[in-house]
Amino acid sequence: MAESETPRTKQRPIVRLGLFLISHSLLFSVVCCAAGVVALLLLPVLAKNTYISENALMPGSANPMLSGEDASEANKLVKEVIALNSKSGASGIKRQRLIAQYMSDLGAEVNYHKFHPQGVHFHPLHFFSSPGSGTTERNISCSLRGTNIVGIIRAPRGDGKEAIVLVTPYNSVKINQGEAMSLGIAYSVFSLLTRVTWLAKDIIWLVADSQHGEYAAVSAWLRDYHTPVFNGLHTIDAEICVVANNLHEAKEQPTNERNIYDGFRRAGTMAAALVIKVLDRNEQFEDSLSIYAEASNGQMPNLDLINIVNYLAVHRQGLRAKVEKMWSVIDSKWVKTLGELFESLGQLARYLNPQWKFGIPAADYVEGTATLASSLYNQALGVPTGPHGAFRDYQVDAITLEISSRASFDNKNSRNEFLLRGGRLIEGVIRSVNNLLEKFHQSFFLYLLTSPSKFVSVGVYMIALALLVAPLPMVAASLYTDANKLDSIQRKDKPTASASVAEECDVNLRSWKWVNAAKKVFVLHSWGSVVSLLPYLVCQIPNCSPTASFLLWVLLSALSLLIMHLILASPFFHATESQLHVGEWAILKSVTISVAFIGLCLMSVINFATAEIGGLLVVPMCLMAHPLKLDLKVWRLKNFLRVAFNIVFVFIGFPPATFMVLKSTFEGFNSFNVGDFWNWVESLWAWNSATYLYIVMVHLPCWTCKSED
Amino acid sequence: MAKEKKDGSFWLWVIASVIFRLVLIYFPKNLNLASRPEVSTPLTSLRRLAEGYWLKQSSLSPYAGSMYHGSPLLLAVLGPLTTNGIEGQPNNLLCSLVFVIADLVNAILIRAIGEKLQIAYSQSLKSLDLYTISKSSAILPSRDIAALVYLWNPFTIVACVGLSTSPIENLTILLSLYGACTRMVPLAAFGWVMATHLSLYPVILIVPVILLLGYGPDTPPRKLFLHRRCDKIDDNASSDRNCHQGEAVKQPELANVFSWRSVNLFLLWTIIWSLYVLVLCGIYVKQYGGLGEMFRRTYGFILTMQDLSPNIGVLWYFFAEVFDFFRNFFLVVFHMNILFMILPLAIRLNHRPCFLAFVYITTSSMLKSYPSVGDSALYLGLVGLFVNELAEMQFSFFIFCVYVGVSLLSPVMHNLWIWRGTGNANFYFATAMAYACLQIILVVESVSAMLNHDRELRKLSTAAKLQESSKS
Repeated sequence: MAESETPRTKQRPIVRLGLFLISHSLLFSVVCCAAGVVALLLLPVLAKNTYISENALMPGSANPMLSGEDASEANKLVKEVIALNSKSGASGIKRQRLIAQYMSDLGAEVNYHKFHPQGVHFHPLHFFSSPGSGTTERNISCSLRGTNIVGIIRAPRGDGKEAIVLVTPYNSVKINQGEAMSLGIAYSVFSLLTRVTWLAKDIIWLVADSQHGEYAAVSAWLRDYHTPVFNGLHTIDAEICVVANNLHEAKEQPTNERNIYDGFRRAGTMAAALVIKVLDRNEQFEDSLSIYAEASNGQMPNLDLINIVNYLAVHRQGLRAKVEKMWSVIDSKWVKTLGELFESLGQLARYLNPQWKFGIPAADYVEGTATLASSLYNQALGVPTGPHGAFRDYQVDAITLEISSRASFDNKNSRNEFLLRGGRLIEGVIRSVNNLLEKFHQSFFLYLLTSPSKFVSVGVYMIALALLVAPLPMVAASLYTDANKLDSIQRKDKPTASASVAEECDVNLRSWKWVNAAKKVFVLHSWGSVVSLLPYLVCQIPNCSPTASFLLWVLLSALSLLIMHLILASPFFHATESQLHVGEWAILKSVTISVAFIGLCLMSVINFATAEIGGLLVVPMCLMAHPLKLDLKVWRLKNFLRVAFNIVFVFIGFPPATFMVLKSTFEGFNSFNVGDFWNWVESLWAWNSATYLYIVMVHLPCWTCKSED
Repeated sequence: MAKEKKDGSFWLWVIASVIFRLVLIYFPKNLNLASRPEVSTPLTSLRRLAEGYWLKQSSLSPYAGSMYHGSPLLLAVLGPLTTNGIEGQPNNLLCSLVFVIADLVNAILIRAIGEKLQIAYSQSLKSLDLYTISKSSAILPSRDIAALVYLWNPFTIVACVGLSTSPIENLTILLSLYGACTRMVPLAAFGWVMATHLSLYPVILIVPVILLLGYGPDTPPRKLFLHRRCDKIDDNASSDRNCHQGEAVKQPELANVFSWRSVNLFLLWTIIWSLYVLVLCGIYVKQYGGLGEMFRRTYGFILTMQDLSPNIGVLWYFFAEVFDFFRNFFLVVFHMNILFMILPLAIRLNHRPCFLAFVYITTSSMLKSYPSVGDSALYLGLVGLFVNELAEMQFSFFIFCVYVGVSLLSPVMHNLWIWRGTGNANFYFATAMAYACLQIILVVESVSAMLNHDRELRKLSTAAKLQESSKS
């Protein structure tokens, strides 16, 4: 290519920069990967303090109006609800009636919402469709039935188009102290809100029947709320069993329940939802409030909602706000050393220039890292951390507030005191949300929390991922150009006269040579999608232990790979294997890397945390991969090291192995069992987690490509 | 023997693609493709067509309520199919079957066009004594590649299964190209008139169609033939080396003359067909405001960009933002963009009318007001026809990767914006811009690869000439 070499001397700067990057791709990829990991570790240091972004919220600007009277009234409800525990018989129904009675006495509209909790569905396409679409089929069994109680206060100043939701999950069969207290808190706020004049949004109090799981109850209610049925027949399928079971209930319907309605009652669109829980066990030091925010697929509610809760809890009610932490990180040595390192670096920076405010105390760093790790883990799993997750599927911002008390609930005063504090917190939050003119939109939706009052925004954490995946396209480009160059050199060496027909065609379509490699990769990815559908078959087998189903899954996957290789792959691969040469695997690797890059970028938009964790595993594997055959021919230290790294990375990259390694580092070896992986996967697809799709459709095929090398 | 085997595998793949489509048609609910903005635009959505048909049945104007914006003829043909379903089968099964057949016919047409192109091209190469290049590639002939690319392109499949009328639009365009390639003038005129009637933008295809009818299918640059001929004449006459145009024209076997006859015939047929279509439409919409109303609701709707719902193009975002008093100005500017391209490209690529048609289709599908993936399906199928000429195309791998990336990212961004509420319109628009840039790169790279190919041919032909002269 002597002719084309000469005009290359003068090129545009951007092309020259690109060529420079490509030619030094090894150095750049090492630097970028290292920088990506360092940036990830720096995130707790770079976290900013939260601030309330929406001016209309004005948290804490009004004095709380909740009085001791409301609290003692609520206390009465708590006592009565608990007292029903001791009585035998249909205490569940009595309790429902009691709560409904209390609500209707306040002047709220009450209705019972009977539902059948939906079984877990396996539906990989669910992610792309609207929340309500693919869920019509259900098999009703009368034993699995729950009853939510819904109370609605119509706002005196509102137009009925917006609503705020309070959720208190409780077990209707056997209620415990904490659940009763959460009912009490909600009741105290509810009773206050029936009297206030400032209310501009309707208040819905959903008492969710959690005997089949909190999430199921809330999501069933939300589904019915958002799928209006106009012909009035919607109750029929829910009522089939009711007629049989609860005939007596219908007969003794007291006449004084004036506000209790039969039909499904609705208010407007939901501005926000608060799930209130009270923890039974006593806190050691002070009253505290745990905030759970992660919804399905790593979605978070608007940061402003967390901000106002945090602000009111800390500055008005004196509660200690907490977010979930990963405890194993707090104890680990290396995080501590890292924290100390960053602290000393920060001190050095301040010594050099007092203006530089860099670095945080080591203890804070460890704390922040633990919170960040749990935040990442929960988002990556894509499994909601509480009933608030159901709201996010309908674009409603929701969080779970878990309040725990230092004092025990045995004596009446401390109970009243606790109800008052909790109620005032909820009241403040509702008052703030009530001020909103629009949906929450001002603050962030994409963030990671490092403490209740500190967050890392999308602009910062994306840098870490961008640095991590930046080597992938670079290495792909360099491999591709190298392979092409190699090919053209080979071509020049060979006299054209003796070139075979196959060689001729190769020459003809030189720039389309990647098509073969792309075919190979495509076949592997379609295998990935087959593997992702296999659990559906495995689940059909009844009475299968997790371990057995896992083994079955693995076996079926291997079998399908074999079949695919025999049927689909052979006509494609036959042509290529005959002319396999050094350039071939480079192009294959470059295609694989590009696909991995596309997959990671896609996943970073859907669920950042998954992409980050997946990137940490995939990127080194992709970059290191080298055919074993070529390495084993030459016994040198470099090759040996490469082989060793490859084997290690390939082992770690295999999803079950990854799971095992992570679990054993965090929880110790003794608790391990192969079936756990199956259970874990089952929970993933039960929640329609995109992580599952990612693992089987991107991660696994990439891994297979690598190990085939 | 080998050829037969190849043919067999080609038809096997074609049948497989049809079966794949039929399987997908049976799961319309799960895929929910008909409501995707990528697939169904206001112009191509079958749901809107059904609505228009329903309005017509209830004696209202089909264009009432700004639901339907397509042709009345399409309404007359497809409308009855939307209401008549077969018991126990998915809705719109008949329409889907029509679209599958349209896709199949499209693929066969592409293959026929490819065959014509290949024969003509190898002939012209032979006349230039460049036998080495004319060897077809070993895998499959380019016509089969193009047809299979069209049939198995996910975009085509999605557009076909997603109940959009774009397979029919593509069919008319391909009909006109096929007619022009085979010099079936009435067919070419019919295809062009129908394509223009259905979606307006193919109006610019009149240039390549006329070139095709005038000069015949794609050839190497005409200058080469001239040189070649001069040399031959020179050799024969052993005279001095200047060569006149007049001498070249005298050679009868070289079809280098622009045949005005077929072009005139084409124009005549065009007038006949358009009158026919207008009369039919006029009868159909007589009670509802006549042809004026029809033009306002179809062409007017396309040109004034009234529906600003998001699609994979770039114009909706722009016109949602632009101030009202600039609107007309920018409408003119954006539509002029397509027109500006016509003349320079026609001059530069006049020896390759089919490739010119591909370039026009790509540019118009990038700049049109309501693009859908069905348009991309067409030009990606056509690019397969030139796989031998574009063998040296740069960035082909890059373009492929970005196509995959953008087509996956775009629905995700749409989901983030519309369903999750965590993203906003800019996210989705970013993918639309990436998609537009990608199409620009595709056009630029393919055109430059084609020009390089021409240069290569010139070099080879001069080399061959030198060899010959040294021999003699």
